[in-house]
Amino acid sequence: MAVNPVALGAPTEARTGRPRPGALTILGRFIRKKPLGAAGGLIILIITLTAVFAELVATYDPIATDASQTLASPSADHWLGSDHLGRDVYSRVVHGARVSLIVGLASTLMGSFFGGIIGLLSGYAGGKTDLITQRVLDIFQGLPLLVLAMVMSAALGPSIQNVVIAISIPIIPRAARVIRSSVLSIREMQYIEAARAVGVRHLRIAFRHILPNTMGPFIVLMTAQLGSAILVEATLSFLGLGVPEPYPSWGRMLSVSAAEYAQKAPHLVIFPGLAISLAVFGSNLLGDALRDTLDPRLRGA
Amino acid sequence: MRQPTLLATIAGATLALTVGLTLTPAIGQAPKSGGTLNVMLREDLAQGFATHESSTVATSTPSLPCFSNLVLFDQSKKNESLDSVVGELAEKWSWQDNYKNLVFFLRKDVKWHDGKPFTSKDVKYTFDMVREAPDATAKLRINPRKDWYANVEHIEAPDPHTVVFRLKRPQPSLLLMLASGYSPVYAAHVPAASYRTGCVGTGPFKVKEWRKGEFVEYVKNPDFFVKGRPYLDGLKYIVIVERGTRTAALQSGQLDVAFPGETGRTAMEQLKKAVPTMVFQPVAQNVSDNIIMNTKKPPFDNPKVRLAVSYAIDRRGLIQAAHQGGAVLGAAMVPKPFGFWGMAEKDLTALPGYGKADEMKDQARKLLRESGITPQNPLKVEMGVRAIAIYLDMASFVVNELKQVGIEGTLKQVETAQWHPMATRGDYTIGANLTGLGTDDPDANFYENYACGSPRNYSQYCNEEMMKAFERQSQELDIKKRMALVIDIQKRLEQDAPRPILAQRLDYFAHWAHVKGLVAHNNVYNYPRFTDVWRDK
Amino acid sequence: MKSYVAQRLGIAVLTLLGMSVVIFVLLRLAPGDIVDILFSTGGYVNNEERQAIMKELGIDKPLVTQYFEWLRNFMVGDLGKSYRYDQPAWDIIRPLLPVTLELAALSIIVAVCLGVPTGVISAVRQDTGLDYALRVFSLAGLSMPAFWLGMVIILALVTWLQWIPPVTYVGPRENFWLHAVQFGLPALAVGYRSSALIMRITRSALLEVMREDYIRTALAKGQSERVVIWRHALKNAILPVVTVIGIEFAFLIGGLVVTENVFNLPGVARFLVQAILWRDYPIVQNLVMFIAVVVILSNLFVDMLYGFLDPRVRYGS
Repeated sequence: MAVNPVALGAPTEARTGRPRPGALTILGRFIRKKPLGAAGGLIILIITLTAVFAELVATYDPIATDASQTLASPSADHWLGSDHLGRDVYSRVVHGARVSLIVGLASTLMGSFFGGIIGLLSGYAGGKTDLITQRVLDIFQGLPLLVLAMVMSAALGPSIQNVVIAISIPIIPRAARVIRSSVLSIREMQYIEAARAVGVRHLRIAFRHILPNTMGPFIVLMTAQLGSAILVEATLSFLGLGVPEPYPSWGRMLSVSAAEYAQKAPHLVIFPGLAISLAVFGSNLLGDALRDTLDPRLRGA
Repeated sequence: MRQPTLLATIAGATLALTVGLTLTPAIGQAPKSGGTLNVMLREDLAQGFATHESSTVATSTPSLPCFSNLVLFDQSKKNESLDSVVGELAEKWSWQDNYKNLVFFLRKDVKWHDGKPFTSKDVKYTFDMVREAPDATAKLRINPRKDWYANVEHIEAPDPHTVVFRLKRPQPSLLLMLASGYSPVYAAHVPAASYRTGCVGTGPFKVKEWRKGEFVEYVKNPDFFVKGRPYLDGLKYIVIVERGTRTAALQSGQLDVAFPGETGRTAMEQLKKAVPTMVFQPVAQNVSDNIIMNTKKPPFDNPKVRLAVSYAIDRRGLIQAAHQGGAVLGAAMVPKPFGFWGMAEKDLTALPGYGKADEMKDQARKLLRESGITPQNPLKVEMGVRAIAIYLDMASFVVNELKQVGIEGTLKQVETAQWHPMATRGDYTIGANLTGLGTDDPDANFYENYACGSPRNYSQYCNEEMMKAFERQSQELDIKKRMALVIDIQKRLEQDAPRPILAQRLDYFAHWAHVKGLVAHNNVYNYPRFTDVWRDK
Repeated sequence: MKSYVAQRLGIAVLTLLGMSVVIFVLLRLAPGDIVDILFSTGGYVNNEERQAIMKELGIDKPLVTQYFEWLRNFMVGDLGKSYRYDQPAWDIIRPLLPVTLELAALSIIVAVCLGVPTGVISAVRQDTGLDYALRVFSLAGLSMPAFWLGMVIILALVTWLQWIPPVTYVGPRENFWLHAVQFGLPALAVGYRSSALIMRITRSALLEVMREDYIRTALAKGQSERVVIWRHALKNAILPVVTVIGIEFAFLIGGLVVTENVFNLPGVARFLVQAILWRDYPIVQNLVMFIAVVVILSNLFVDMLYGFLDPRVRYGS
């Protein structure tokens, strides 16, 4: 899987004298060429802002119960209705964005970071190291994502940090694989050979020259995994193994209680589900567009 | 004087006839034989049919059709009491020697499902095993109700159809424990462990197939000792783990009968709207929401702090929020009309948490101040709660209430497997708990949950005076006097607050109208045996 | 070719061994074991009884011993006894496998039938409104949580039709149409999700092939677009699609777990969740190994296919 380093304006030995285009220009070009991707980016941006400014955007304390307002339909008072404990659904969805994004981002970053390092070193080293690392990664990748996350979550116990770890573990092998492929192709490039010939140390080559050029696939990987991480968190919470109370989690909002009151209060089922779908949808759109931009020849992963 | 016209007479007669005809079906429709029923099961059997090794309705309730007891609570009566105890394997019984000896005269025509005859040996075998008698011939792997029979000195089987329970001291309540769904008679000629995979009983239905994780299928027992019963040809308990799917299955008719304790108020309203002819029987579950506090560790070794917690929680608010109104106020025992020994609402209002919410919270803050807890020096606690929705709902509400009086609580989710070890070891300070009683009897409650040294006394509460009070009421033969003692104990327990009771849960037990003869009890553990249940179409 | 196969098989076995260690260790990292759960159903705890039960179940032996015992038995096909049900694990798992396999197969079929045509259309009509619409539709499937989709379906059915698919297994011979609905609905829910990935791969693979010179030449020469697509482009694009189908199979498990729960299908995925909650190690270990074997085998098969179809791709080049 080759990446075109020039597309990112990364330093190369064979560079023309053109100055790099400004960030805003790149953005503008992106929006025009990839409207879907831009839309996805916008969705993610809105969700991120909602998460960051949750206290301002929410109308109620998400964990405050109110015995007089149980299962209220959407109204001016409770924009998206209230749940069986009288908690405001809108505020819980807003704060849930924080949880989902934090867990999603943290686990994706963690998994991609560690996976990336492993992939970089493994791909660069090659030979036996590469072989063994690949097999070890195969082992983890062969275990179904959800099952692995479930067992890890049960193993670590319910807490937000542990959920992040549990979800990041299955991401590591996938990230490693992507980065490794990228490294394998860059490794053979002439300027790398040149650097080695001059005597630059391996580690320096790996981190200073190769790594920046893997940024393309890395970004694409992360946006793809973000959606997946959010979904896994939602599923884990739905199964009761995810983020524990009282953090509002979109997935947990959909578990038992929603199903029980679904007919009387369908808004309990609809809104958290829509929120999850929207977040994943946005990240997938963005990821697709980024992939297309960075290298149209890239296959889907 | 005008003579009644012919028309008036005919009209009168027609009216009487119509009224009579509409009333009659409610009184005595003739039961029809045949048909099967699909019954809801919310999870697969925990330990097969090994009721004596289990404390969960997941095992005992779906095993009921297979077994028979010595005596059982009359299945057709909603309220359970000494008066509603009827014989199953025992034809007659009599107390002797001032409630110290209980003699059972057993039926002579009973056969086990494998054809062998039932005798007094089976009874002695079963209860010697449960009470862990020194000369018991078998042992249970897990034995949660050993304490129920702590007062039994000796069990004799003088002839194949007579059994005598000799007690250390008078205990009229023993009969109630034997009448519980948790007290079936095992067969002496099969290993106790075999009940974990199959069931050899004497009950109205025989196990046809247990497909793990899917269903338990029963078929009519043709040699059942009550002639003409059961009416039904079979039963199928279907496992549905997803709550939404469960309710949908009942609503769409794929299930005929709900599981005891599973029909909350909102589910009832939804089902009623969708199926106007569905039958709902509101009963108490004899399961209470309560808060356990470790009385041996700070801060809850201080009775004032415990009391503050109890004052802070608005019971009525909890009933609305956590139960949508599907629960009632009550102390340790279930209140009337659902139970016999509970306290009436007017007596409860004086207790912590049952009065006006604001006043109660003020009282809580006052108590906390007296204990040195102020907004400057707040109390931070971690409330242990099982990771199950019904616990979490209650706990979320409670944490919110505590916040308002200055106790900062966070929820600590504990997996089911961790809960009992944690609670039994006292590895917690405060927790949200549910307590179920196998029978509406003060003995069962007080000794299990509040007696010194009892493994399920999670609060590790030990009060010598209370122990004496428990003894006194247990031996009191006069019902009125005993009632007064029991009410007094409940008051003192709420004021000592080792385990403040928050609400007594209700169940709106649901079943389709074509299911007849099924009566829900004010206790989830002791029905349905399905002996007299029949299908109308 | 032979050494290629042998090498891949060897790797596969090693990988499986590694997986067995990982799953064995991970499971035991989870706090609580079957004895804790048993006591929790009994409502109390007692240490002596605990020791007795551990001995009875064989879990008092050192972990390494337990691991090798398990491995040894697994090789000869003895999957041990379920801790919860006290019966041979294979007897319990066996009736569940066909259900999950059928559901998985149907889901893949739905995914392919939905994904490939939409991918082709999207590629051929690249960057048109139709392309965007199809991509949005496909991506929506990838974005919706599988359990949510299932819940919404059940909710809709019971609210509008007062009817839901059967909650107990209905065999195809008992009642074909009921069986078809019982499996078809969940297969749709799961398949819709998987179709997104297949659609994407088909689209990008086809786009790449269509850029090739020989395709452009054929089109320039006047051959009809449809003929060109079907005869030349698809043939070469099929390879990565097949690869992805193999990979998707592993991803499927996650969707199957929640779908089997929501639709109450008696399959291994649903059973696996319960077994994990019950710390029923024999069941969990063996089921996960079984899934791993299936995944490895399908990857192996795809690799073989790759190697067979494209002689340039050989291990170690």
